[in-house]
Amino acid sequence: MPILSLQNVSKDYLTDGQPVHALNGLTLNVERGEFVALVGRSGCGKSTLLNLAGAMDFPTSGQVLLDGVSTSSLNDSGLTQLRRAKVGFVFQSFQLLHTLTVFENVELPLLLAGKPRAREAARERLAWVELDGLGDRLPHQLSGGQMQRVAIARALIHSPNILLADEPTGNLDNTTGNVILELLQRLTREQDTATIMATHSLEAASLASTVVRLRDGTIEEITRR
Amino acid sequence: MPLFLLFYRLMVRPLLREPVRTSLTILAIALGVAVVLAIDLAGGAATGSFRSSLETLAGDNDLEVTASGGIPENVAGALATLPYPIRVAPRIEDYVVIAGTRKSLPLIGLDLVAEGSANAPSESPKLAESRTQGASENVFEHLGDADSVWVGSSAGYKAGDRIELLLNDLVRSYTVRGVYPDSNGNESAIVMDIATAQHALARLGRVDRILLKVPEIPGLEIWQQRLRAVLPAGVEVRPQGAGTNENRRMLAAFRWNLRLLSYISLVVGAFLIYNTISVSVVRRRAEIGIVRALGASRGIILSAFVGEAACFGLAGALIGLPFGRFMATGAVRLMAVTVQSLYVSSRPGSIELSPASVVLALAIGVGVAAASAYSPAREASLVSPAEAMARGRREYDVRVHKLRDFWIALVLGLAAAAASRAPAVAGKPLFGYLAATLLVAASAFAMPALVDALTSLSSQLLGKLFGVEAKLASRSLAASLRRTSVLVGALSTAIAMMTAVGIMVGSFRQTVMIWMGDQLPADLYLRPAGSAAADRHPTVSFGLAEELAKLPGVAAVERLRIYEISFEGMPASLASADLNVQRSHQDSDFFSGRPKEQVLAELRESNAVVVSEPFTYKHHKKAGDSITLSLGETKATFRIADVYYDYSSERGSILMDRKTMLRYLPDPAPSNLAIYISPDAQVEKVRAAIEKAAAGRRVLLFSNRDLRAEAIRIFDRTFAITYALEAVAVVVAVMGIAGALLALVIDRRRELGLLRFLGAATGQVRKLILVEAGLLGLLANLAGIALGFVLSLVLIYVVNKQSFGWTIRFHWPVQILLGALTVVYVATVLAGLYPAQVAVRLNPLEVVHEE
Repeated sequence: MPILSLQNVSKDYLTDGQPVHALNGLTLNVERGEFVALVGRSGCGKSTLLNLAGAMDFPTSGQVLLDGVSTSSLNDSGLTQLRRAKVGFVFQSFQLLHTLTVFENVELPLLLAGKPRAREAARERLAWVELDGLGDRLPHQLSGGQMQRVAIARALIHSPNILLADEPTGNLDNTTGNVILELLQRLTREQDTATIMATHSLEAASLASTVVRLRDGTIEEITRR
Repeated sequence: MPLFLLFYRLMVRPLLREPVRTSLTILAIALGVAVVLAIDLAGGAATGSFRSSLETLAGDNDLEVTASGGIPENVAGALATLPYPIRVAPRIEDYVVIAGTRKSLPLIGLDLVAEGSANAPSESPKLAESRTQGASENVFEHLGDADSVWVGSSAGYKAGDRIELLLNDLVRSYTVRGVYPDSNGNESAIVMDIATAQHALARLGRVDRILLKVPEIPGLEIWQQRLRAVLPAGVEVRPQGAGTNENRRMLAAFRWNLRLLSYISLVVGAFLIYNTISVSVVRRRAEIGIVRALGASRGIILSAFVGEAACFGLAGALIGLPFGRFMATGAVRLMAVTVQSLYVSSRPGSIELSPASVVLALAIGVGVAAASAYSPAREASLVSPAEAMARGRREYDVRVHKLRDFWIALVLGLAAAAASRAPAVAGKPLFGYLAATLLVAASAFAMPALVDALTSLSSQLLGKLFGVEAKLASRSLAASLRRTSVLVGALSTAIAMMTAVGIMVGSFRQTVMIWMGDQLPADLYLRPAGSAAADRHPTVSFGLAEELAKLPGVAAVERLRIYEISFEGMPASLASADLNVQRSHQDSDFFSGRPKEQVLAELRESNAVVVSEPFTYKHHKKAGDSITLSLGETKATFRIADVYYDYSSERGSILMDRKTMLRYLPDPAPSNLAIYISPDAQVEKVRAAIEKAAAGRRVLLFSNRDLRAEAIRIFDRTFAITYALEAVAVVVAVMGIAGALLALVIDRRRELGLLRFLGAATGQVRKLILVEAGLLGLLANLAGIALGFVLSLVLIYVVNKQSFGWTIRFHWPVQILLGALTVVYVATVLAGLYPAQVAVRLNPLEVVHEE
């Protein structure tokens, strides 16, 4: 069973009273251990797809099945529980809380979920992203690449089934960006997690096992390697 | 014009996009302005502009002749026979109660025979007009009738009606002979012939005041000198209305203190404006950089932010104006109660919203807002364009200098301690207020260090106790140190003032209760049912005391007589008591600490008096000094044997032996009686016997407990207005907290959205904001209690002492404070409900991707 399954999914928005079709009858299945790159022009539906996949939004029609659970069948509380258990997010601008230390940022999802032994898990995830020893620092004491590693560690703290990354290298230079991409590739493989990454960069997409090219809310092409 | 357009686009339009937050800020200012305006208007109506009916019906006269205890009526005759063209109008003046309605009205006895004379100039034209007001016959036909009265039209009587009046302790029946118009701002009064009034009030041979109309030449002072030469030593001649001015002077401290209390809400409002503009500056840091890069000068930036605050101030003042006028109605009622209880009989005048009041309100609203915005506005003007555009929004706390501010706070605290030791200036505790202001400023400067220390210490603990939301809330407050400090400063100032005034009033109440325990040793107290007030002392019929003293079970009856006198241009009370009556006291009531018996022995039948504590402060007299009193026709000098603690009135009192007073003022009727019951008698039986003996007289009989309860009831009513003012300040602060939390939510929306991405449920986001509100409330309560305690010391030992001259013993009113602080705390948490709801409604998809 695919860990993520989008079945004939459409998503419409109203912008200034006018309907905008962000996704249009899209179908996509993602398996564990698969590293998927979503590519396409701005406005093609990459972020909308990530939001639906992350149980942050409902489709207008069709179904999004996350580990077999239809997101449309859940209320807000159910969606929150689903996210806590199965989804991790990585953002372009890192989105670390500047008032919290590295450790505290990383363990935050576990604390929000009321899970025990958060600090141990945070220590372990920081080791995964090679930031051992920096746990007590504050975000502004880190470089951009280090901040994104912290964000990745945070996204993986609860061992999600699916990791969603929205332009994770968008705010980094090429060298640092490549390091982050290799890290994501390695962790996807080692943790048997499905990673879906939205990117403009063909270089980034080249590291993915599957490249999904979107155009006007539909899948134009799927390339599997 | 282009600048105004820019101002609208860049400053005003963003405010309109946040209507709730903008409204809360404006409303906070409006409340502050409204309170100041209400107290100003109410003060004018209740104390400043009062002219009692006795004055409004006094007519057009120049001078008045007065004497303590009344003027012999032959003085009026002597003045009338002087070879000067002066008009002489003797009067009896008192208050009566209409028996049916219990309404208290002034009673004026006029020489209606002189009034009725065709040749006599009319002293009271209004009375003459009564001929046209329904009396079918000539009003002067009944001048000789002993039951004739004339009544103001608003009292609701018509000619021919019977009216029952309670005078002192007797009810008498009269016929209304005419009604005079009193619609022009004059109060209604009962007018009768002077002879009738003298008989009714048992003041035969004496009048209360003689009004004089003198020719303009050679001037009032010369006329005073001429007349003084022919008057007995104790009789004074002074400009008409001098009594009103004396009362006004006496009320000055009361008005002054109340006015300053009303400014607390404004101070709290100033904190909030400071916070609002600071937030505005931080939010628009990038915009400031861009506008500066495009050619805006520092002055334009400064003006823009001060202008933004001025807009808040103007809008707040415009809303505060009608609100203040409305609040003034309630304030007048409360103030009038205090004035009546503690100072002088005066019905409040009408509330007048004059152009000056409007200008005052606008100036206060705009001025306070602009002044409190100056510091953040100046900071905005100093922003470097390149830095602002490059770094965009910068955190507040970068510019907080905790340590430096803490040292400033220490210096201010020391300055406050020094100021609190300085004496009063012209009777006003100016340095006391300076000390209080410095303490508030010190607290504001110490706040960042305090907030930082407390949030750092509590963060881990809160996380363990209340979960990750509490930890996040604590970190968030610590991260926005400047904003948090200002908010805590605002709320803690309001709480501090509430605590300080609460402690002061609570201490005062406790002091009064202890004092009453000592001062009210009798078992029963009797006073006439006639109209009584701080300056009105109706009398009990002469002979009743002697009758009661003979009753079985009555051990002793102590007679107290009080007159209102003028001493050194200020009103005062002159009292006498039977000092031979044994009174049991545990502690000394005197400054010297001497036993009561020893002090009172000095007073017996000698020209020695004891004076009350407020008297010594008002007149700078102490034990051993001499005072000269005008008593009846003579002047007499008395030695001050000691000073006694007294909390019954702020007027200042002199107490002498009854026998000594009777030597100068022979009227033997007492104002009230203290009745001691024999230890072996049953109180209820004796009480019944007293009531039977007093039958036919309207008297009020109180048990010791009833009297104390009544005194405390009056005390609590008196201080109701101070509680009301504190409550408004707290409401302003809580509204400010709500507005600031809303700003906090808006500014941190990305972070709140991110939490949803990271698995936070909506309930957790709500809890986060409510915990922040709770933490703000907790910090403010802690800081407020500490500051309030110190301020209460200043209020009790400096401001109160220098304003009113009362020694108050410090007391913690634990229950009241605990109750009030709990209410404030709950209100603060509730203030977070709406911002929390806004936070919950944020769409994480939208806010997380905003930049």
